[in-house]
Amino acid sequence: MCVIPVFEKSLYDLIRGLRSHKGNEKEYIQNCLKECRAEIRSQDMDLKATALLKLIYLEMFGHDMSWASFNVLEVMASAKYHQKRVGYLGAIQSFRPDTEVLMLATNLLKKDLTATSTTTIALPIVTLPHVITPSLALSVLPDILPRLSHTNPTIRKKTIVTLYRLALVYPETLRAAWPKIKERLMDRSEDSSVTAAIVNVICELGWRRPHDFLSLAPRLFELLVDSGNNWLAIKLIKLFATLTPLEPRLVRKLLPPLTEIIQTTPAMSLLYECINGIIQGGILGSGEDTAGKEEIASLCVNKLRSMIMVDGDPNLKYVALLAFNKIVDTHPWLVAQQEDVILECIDSADISIRIKALDLVQGMVSSDNLISIVSRLMRQLKLSATIDHKNGANASSSSPGDSDDDDLETTINPTQKATEQLPPLPDDYRADVINRILSMCSQSNYTHITDFEWYIDILTQLVRIAPTPKKTNDVETLPIAGRSGPGDISEKIGNELRNVAVKVQAVRGACLQAAGIISTQLNNDTPTGHPLNSGALGPVTWVIGEYASELDAPEDTLGLLLQLIPRITSAEPLAASLQAAMKVFSLTAGDHLTRWSAEQKSKILLLMARIVHTFEVLTLHPTLEVQERAVEFTELLKLTVEAASAQEASTELVHQDTPLLLTQAIPSLFVGWELKSVAASAQKNVPLPEGLDLDEPINPNLNFLLASAQSQSIPADEVDEFDTYYHQRPAATSIASEPAIARLADERVDAVGSYQQPTEESYLDADIVARRKLERLEKNRDDPFYIQATSSIQRSSTPIHNILQSSNGPDLDVDSIPIMELDLDKLSAGVTHAPTKLSKPSRPKPRQRIVVAADENLGSSGQSTPKNDSENDLGPLASKAARARRLKQSVLGVDSTNIQSLSLEGGTASGAYDPEAQQREEAEMAQAMKEVERLRLEMQRANERIQVAQGVDAAAKTKKKPPTAAAEDEGAEGAEGAKVVKKKKKKEKVASIDEGAGGVEQSTVKPKKKKAKPPAEIE
Amino acid sequence: MINAVLVFNGQGQPRLTKFYTQLETSIQQRLLSEIFALVSNRPSGACNFLPLPPLLAASGTSQSSSEPHNDVPSLVTYRNYATLYFIVISTSTESPLALLDLIQVYVEALDKLFENVCELDLIFNFETLHAALSEMIVGGVVIETNLDRIVAGVKAQGTVAKRPVNESRSTGLGAGLSMGGNFVWPGR
Repeated sequence: MCVIPVFEKSLYDLIRGLRSHKGNEKEYIQNCLKECRAEIRSQDMDLKATALLKLIYLEMFGHDMSWASFNVLEVMASAKYHQKRVGYLGAIQSFRPDTEVLMLATNLLKKDLTATSTTTIALPIVTLPHVITPSLALSVLPDILPRLSHTNPTIRKKTIVTLYRLALVYPETLRAAWPKIKERLMDRSEDSSVTAAIVNVICELGWRRPHDFLSLAPRLFELLVDSGNNWLAIKLIKLFATLTPLEPRLVRKLLPPLTEIIQTTPAMSLLYECINGIIQGGILGSGEDTAGKEEIASLCVNKLRSMIMVDGDPNLKYVALLAFNKIVDTHPWLVAQQEDVILECIDSADISIRIKALDLVQGMVSSDNLISIVSRLMRQLKLSATIDHKNGANASSSSPGDSDDDDLETTINPTQKATEQLPPLPDDYRADVINRILSMCSQSNYTHITDFEWYIDILTQLVRIAPTPKKTNDVETLPIAGRSGPGDISEKIGNELRNVAVKVQAVRGACLQAAGIISTQLNNDTPTGHPLNSGALGPVTWVIGEYASELDAPEDTLGLLLQLIPRITSAEPLAASLQAAMKVFSLTAGDHLTRWSAEQKSKILLLMARIVHTFEVLTLHPTLEVQERAVEFTELLKLTVEAASAQEASTELVHQDTPLLLTQAIPSLFVGWELKSVAASAQKNVPLPEGLDLDEPINPNLNFLLASAQSQSIPADEVDEFDTYYHQRPAATSIASEPAIARLADERVDAVGSYQQPTEESYLDADIVARRKLERLEKNRDDPFYIQATSSIQRSSTPIHNILQSSNGPDLDVDSIPIMELDLDKLSAGVTHAPTKLSKPSRPKPRQRIVVAADENLGSSGQSTPKNDSENDLGPLASKAARARRLKQSVLGVDSTNIQSLSLEGGTASGAYDPEAQQREEAEMAQAMKEVERLRLEMQRANERIQVAQGVDAAAKTKKKPPTAAAEDEGAEGAEGAKVVKKKKKKEKVASIDEGAGGVEQSTVKPKKKKAKPPAEIE
Repeated sequence: MINAVLVFNGQGQPRLTKFYTQLETSIQQRLLSEIFALVSNRPSGACNFLPLPPLLAASGTSQSSSEPHNDVPSLVTYRNYATLYFIVISTSTESPLALLDLIQVYVEALDKLFENVCELDLIFNFETLHAALSEMIVGGVVIETNLDRIVAGVKAQGTVAKRPVNESRSTGLGAGLSMGGNFVWPGR
């Protein structure tokens, strides 16, 4: 008996210790890890296995155990089953693609695959999918194939799945395995779970290479009808859904059993998959025999509809939305019929359901429902924004009072109440919703929008509720996740506003107004001293500048811009606002008609002084774009100041002209062609100028120039930059007080006027609503059929109104009063349009005639091709490669692209003997052997180094046991390995690279032999 | 296929992690905590499917949503039993409702193995947890859904250890099993 160390702990002890060390677990775990490190090197196999088990347990909590991979291998080689099992578990949990000892494991795996005990055989079979590599697949394939006909069904079914995973990395597996798997499937006496496993595997392979499985259809059909196993049926239906597009005749055969299942099955999952299968298999849509299909279509859609409608089971709701999502592309009309229930889901308390509903809604949007959909979304956003706001206020000012919130949010609408009970929506969800709103509205060049003013108001509102970018967070998450952070969102909103301003000339004025409102708002809402960093600023100020001629009060706007500029931190919006300020200035100052009076002169001089004062600090801005503009404009303005002060003001008697610099020079900078929107792909259509050689260096002396630039020392510029950075104070910004009405807006309870459609009040801020009302009043002033709210006539008729109100109560719903049908045909043509105004609910909205400019494009087509960008242009090959690349990036993704390229037909007859190939193989084998030897030496050296650090004593002990175990294995394994090599050479004609890799695996037999030596030397 | 099976408790401590594709330990832990954050924020009465955690969504949404790729995990199904959450991450080729049943079968199997299973059993016998799982799922593909066969398969590997006697019992998962009444699809 060897001495058992005192500190030895079982897994129980470890866990118990963990539980009793609440608080300082970290320290405890570090201690345990240290113990495990020592124990795992022990020669006592029990101790080793226990230590490994503990490591596996700790690995689950994130403690790396990759350093123990060699010990994992040792435990895997144990003769005792319960230790072996721990070893294999360790391999499953801790081996990574770069684990080097995997090469040494090959022989062990091969040996265990041929063991007599079924439980032992199962271990490598279950482990292989986790550690498989192409070369490993090649070398274990001959051992694993015979297991397909093992007497124990458990082994058979596991083998089938493992072969599938082998095929994913090494497609040739299928060539050898497929006939056998097929044979198993056809065998009617086969164990039912084995058949089920085969079907599962075929289902996985099915969508990758459906053609190969068409021939199996009769047998699969038989299984579907006869098996009575719901799990199996689900998989089969899924499989058939991928087969029917290839073989339309299957549809006729499938429909009866599927309909029967739908009508009889008590299992909801099977029912759902039937419907899903019918939808996905394209059974609904294709051509002839319409009567029967319509019947089944309505059956399916109605079932799905009732799934959404059923209360109490949100899972059904979710999966029904999933199914709708799958058909929305192919059968949009079927989904559009269910608009009401789907829209209901957008307001669900459950975020998973919401997201799925959102996906759907995007596909079914039209000009009829756009406003109602967007207003629902807007209400959600606004509610969550106000909740956020209130919570924030509470947290900062006083203790977070829940009751306070509840009082404020007494609501009538039940769906709304559900929304408010939610925790505030996560920022990325809000950003997602805003993104979708924008894309829904701008879809196919704004075809769905009937009311652009409404859209502009929506955009204004969106800027207010857009989640504010979190600087620190973005820096962390962006490089990893690689997706657009919330910071981009407000910029996108701004871009939309700009697009509308550019494309829709009719509402340019409104855009400009909105831009003014947004920038005022941003200026006022951000407390003084804080930088402005909303992404919307760039495009918004661009709009102001570009269309300055349509501004109502350009001088006020200029003042606003000058207030904004010192507070903007990011370069891009800053550059845009510099340009905008200059444009507005050129417009105010360059007016021909204003007399150059003393008053005008001093006004202009003052204005210029202000601009120069604002711009001058930016002349040393670190960003070139900003710096250049600031320098240009200050210099230009200084010149103009000189010229203007030199020019006498005109008096009553003498007329003096405005300086030419003001009237001609500066405006001419900004006058030109009107900007039009250009399609994203237009650039590609620009013809290449002749004689253009992009490879030719512009300056042949470039290297020299760069070198000399580097050698020059940088003058004291840096100090200046530093200086300006800290002395850059905003020029005494006046704190314009927020309009009182805006403050009221936050407190107001969001009462909903109509249950059919949320009123504008519920999602737009009060000031925007007020403005809209005013505009509407203005528009309808001359309309004799519109009763003005404030007119005196209305006031005189109040008695009747009062009577009505007192008898009906205040909440009389005017819409519910029935309106007599008027027969329009009998009326004369002149009056026809009048009564239509009365029947409000059914009246189609008068569509505004608004011209939306299409994107301009170069080239012969002359049409806009908005889709024509990046990936679609690449060939199928390139996109496939791109997909593969993406898959590699994706977490947990399985790359199965290479299995699709293998052809099963005519493969098996490739056993011809090829001496040349054999020579090549041998050469490669020799090389691979060298490689293995080198690796082994490296590992051994590394191992020794560790052991030296731990003390030579321990090293000598630990090395004692493996040699004997290895030696025992030696004879059998060596012979076997050699046999396999021979077999392979005869049989295989594979790509030479694979063979080379296989050589590496085969030759791992040798290193083992050598392993016996070093410890002997130590002894 | 199934990409991962995870079990953790209400505090986010993992009880079982099984990834059917090789993944860095640190990324595993991040995924775990992201999913836990999602799971723990579910309102009562919400469905058993989670929106994709940021780590998975990053790879999922980068490709156009019009062409969902079948190799990418896109479905996160979870079920809550007493103190534990069972999570299955899978691709869109799996049937969502069937996955719910699968989790149910797994828990029932554990219940049979441990007789009135509770979290403590799973902590101390995580090897058995793995064994039971590998009787049901191999390499991300379901191989067995029959309760008796699963239990027999685990028992064939050796006796299932009982929890240590002197450990206090917490609330059993058994209670959780009956709780799921309306989730059990009849005629599975």
